[in-house]
Amino acid sequence: MTIIEILSLVLLGTGAFFFLAGSIGLMRMPDRFTRLHALTKADNVGLGLIVLGLMPLAPDVRDALKLGLIWILVAVAGATGAHLIAKRAVRDDGEDSH
Amino acid sequence: MTTLLAAFDLLLSLTLLGLAVAALTSAEPRRGVILFIAFGLLLALVWARLRAPDLALAEAAIGAGLSGALMLAAARRARRRRSPETAPRPSEEQP
Amino acid sequence: MIAYLLIITLVLMLSIVVGLVRVAIGPTPSDRMMAAQLMGTSGIGVILLLAPVVEVSALIDVALIFALLAAVAVAAFTRRRVTESGG
Repeated sequence: MTIIEILSLVLLGTGAFFFLAGSIGLMRMPDRFTRLHALTKADNVGLGLIVLGLMPLAPDVRDALKLGLIWILVAVAGATGAHLIAKRAVRDDGEDSH
Repeated sequence: MTTLLAAFDLLLSLTLLGLAVAALTSAEPRRGVILFIAFGLLLALVWARLRAPDLALAEAAIGAGLSGALMLAAARRARRRRSPETAPRPSEEQP
Repeated sequence: MIAYLLIITLVLMLSIVVGLVRVAIGPTPSDRMMAAQLMGTSGIGVILLLAPVVEVSALIDVALIFALLAAVAVAAFTRRRVTESGG
């Protein structure tokens, strides 16, 4: 096992830990804002570490760049979505009563 | 390796079945729609596991993405039409 | 190496199952949508990890579509006002 593979395994393990922490937070946190907080950590950091860990294993440079693009997209979409959900919850638009 | 793959398959299938039952027996439309979106996501994972990336692409784009967005809009309108006294009036929502 | 990737995949599947529980019991629709977002991100992770396991590199494109459409679902969910002329 080369040093690159060990680095990749460590990164993947840390990413999986962040996902696990995010899902535990989603279950245990008391209200929806703290749950949103736990969720965005899992989204951005967890997937970022998993993408970083998979990059050395990619067959060529093109696939590795595509992995990076996926992470950028998820980070942008996650930030925008979290902002939208939080704004909607703060305003209490009347649809949240159900 | 084979055991791990079998465990993954079992977990995937059981989750898919549970999601299908939950989505079908849901009383509230919006809950059912969000469960349906999650179901489409899991189904795309199943296609990916079966080495069919084309089907996974179609399921992710059509099943989970587009029809999910359309059904969310439909569920909102259905609820507004059914209970006009509890829904917020459109004139008050104008900015 | 492949076995290790599968273990990570199982952990992400566990995260999907937890998200599913939150979607089912979540008290408000915001909670349900958040959990669906977590499931989407975990699904992207599972697909990316499956690509070397089943040796289909086209799965990366599937993950790309997943990442694009996660934003569409959240935007459709948080849309607030229906134009009355549009019906």
